[in-house]
Amino acid sequence: MAKSKKSRGDRKPAAVKAQDKPVVAKTAAPAKVIVEQPAFWFGFEVSPAKLAVGRVVLFGLLALDALLQIRHAPRYGAGGFNVAQIPLLDSLGPTRTSYGVCELINAYLFTLAAFGVAVRWVLPPAAAIYAWLYFGSQLDSYQHHYLVSMILICACFVPWQRARDAAPAAQQGAPSARDTAPTSRVATWALRLILVELAIMYLWAAISKMNGAWTNGTTLSGQIIGPMRHLVDATVGVPLASKLVILVELSLAALVWQPRFAFIAAPLGLAFHAGILFSGLEIGLFAWLMLAVYLFVIPDRVYIALATRLAGAHKAFGVVAAWFDGALGWVMWLAGIVLGLVFAMLARFEYAGRVGVVLLVVTIAGTVYSIVRAPGARRMTAIGLAHLAAFTLWLATDRAGTVAIDYYRFWGGTSRRLGDLAAAERAYRELDAVAPDEPAGHFQLGRLLLGEGKSDEALAELHEAQRLSPGDARPFTVEARWLAGHGKSAEALAKAKDATYADPNDKDARDLLDSLSRGATPPPQAP
Amino acid sequence: MNTASAAIKSLRALLATWRGRFIAVFVLVQLLLPLHYYLGRRDPHDERFSWRMFSPMRMTHCTPHVTIDGAPFSLPSEFHEAWIELAERGRFVVVEAMAAKLCREHTGAEVELSLDCTYLDREPRTWGGYDMCRVPML
Repeated sequence: MAKSKKSRGDRKPAAVKAQDKPVVAKTAAPAKVIVEQPAFWFGFEVSPAKLAVGRVVLFGLLALDALLQIRHAPRYGAGGFNVAQIPLLDSLGPTRTSYGVCELINAYLFTLAAFGVAVRWVLPPAAAIYAWLYFGSQLDSYQHHYLVSMILICACFVPWQRARDAAPAAQQGAPSARDTAPTSRVATWALRLILVELAIMYLWAAISKMNGAWTNGTTLSGQIIGPMRHLVDATVGVPLASKLVILVELSLAALVWQPRFAFIAAPLGLAFHAGILFSGLEIGLFAWLMLAVYLFVIPDRVYIALATRLAGAHKAFGVVAAWFDGALGWVMWLAGIVLGLVFAMLARFEYAGRVGVVLLVVTIAGTVYSIVRAPGARRMTAIGLAHLAAFTLWLATDRAGTVAIDYYRFWGGTSRRLGDLAAAERAYRELDAVAPDEPAGHFQLGRLLLGEGKSDEALAELHEAQRLSPGDARPFTVEARWLAGHGKSAEALAKAKDATYADPNDKDARDLLDSLSRGATPPPQAP
Repeated sequence: MNTASAAIKSLRALLATWRGRFIAVFVLVQLLLPLHYYLGRRDPHDERFSWRMFSPMRMTHCTPHVTIDGAPFSLPSEFHEAWIELAERGRFVVVEAMAAKLCREHTGAEVELSLDCTYLDREPRTWGGYDMCRVPML
């Protein structure tokens, strides 16, 4: 990039910002030569408001994503088999336990980062854990997790806290008051690197589509469904849409890293990824994460305008925050710490309580370290609130969704299929404990216990499954087969009838009833 | 000539700091790593690290067949379904690791593994079909 024609966001470095000091190169000459660092990287500046908004949304989403991934933990290490993304890591890949625990920790760390608490401390371990979980096993086949891993590495070097840290000084009338103005700038080469990484991704993604199978629409038509498919069919058609995708990706590769073209790149990229959101592709939170990343592409003037308009609210926030400068700050910290632990205990993720206690100890240690370095009760409030928010997210994600239930169900199913019946029984018992109204746990546990000869407990579980899911024939057919196998033909026939009443379309139930009615041997249970 | 010397000067300035060296390595790796798929990767189905999202190759479907000493072997009894899905996408390293595990568990047996793959943009092809305890690569 030509230095003479600097775009908005590309400023001459070194002389302005302390963190971008001119490099002093040692040479053979007696005098030291000052080498100016490239402005493309080290002159890149953004609005602090952009960093703040992007930080909250991106790390908030990553915290949620970490918790949603826990349902997949049982596949890791199942059957003692793993193939890592990097050959030598095969035996060092995550297991069910380590995967689940690490995702809990990462959800916590990302929430702290979203709140702007100890970002410089929490991001490196979060990035390392994320990278290990991704590179440790090919079970994670999402390419966007690779992208997030790269973004997180770069994010460790973004000065997320610089603008925020300037605020108290500004309130005290320190010279850095200029830094808190909406028009102030923060130099960040790492954010430029993230944008360049996006451009590289778009470039290669476009190149990969430059072939007949993509441009004639065959590939896209096999993948895109939902409202976006209807829209494409009703307008440009899939073949033209396929070509447009290449054009959009090439455009974004050229524009996304240049602030002067942000007014084109931001709406284009946001529309592109919003479109993907409605395309029915099974890509997890990818589209949402990309939309979050685009918060760093949106022109600075949008944030400056927003910050200017919200100046009044910001001032009011400062007044409220000042209330917590004294004892109230410590009360808030303590409340956050205690409530956080309660929420961790209430979350139904495996090991949530124990991980919660460890994180509590680490947080207390971090608080002590923070006080020793620079006393400040207001900061304690932030730590307490972030701590509480992290565990609130744990609890809310658990209670509002089925992650914990899926975890135990998948763990039980995986163990059962791979022949580890003891683990399967443990998983289903845990499932019954955390979700007593979930019929699958009772049904599968009943089946397992019947196989172990624990008929009384097994039948009780099957009866519970029948009660909770009266439209499912399977708990009835399993019991009918067991009754038939123990010479109780009349009861077996009655139970087989109940199975057909439960689900008249269940072929297995009808076949069972037919064979029992004829006095024949029942067909084997479907797996 | 001036442009070239300015570029060299700029590059030298970039490489003068640890931040600059980090940036240079990061960008170079990210730019060049996808080339590995096009130039040197033996497995056409393996699109990792190449940013080939939603590519035609992603639509590949393979059916793995395994026999141990001639008897059909059920993969779901040994491997999690997520690994089988990767095998069905034709991922060589996963299939080879599966075969290696079966060879370890059935010492002296003949573990024959084949992948019948259908593609969106090319003719169907069968990979493997021999004793993978003797030839461990597809």
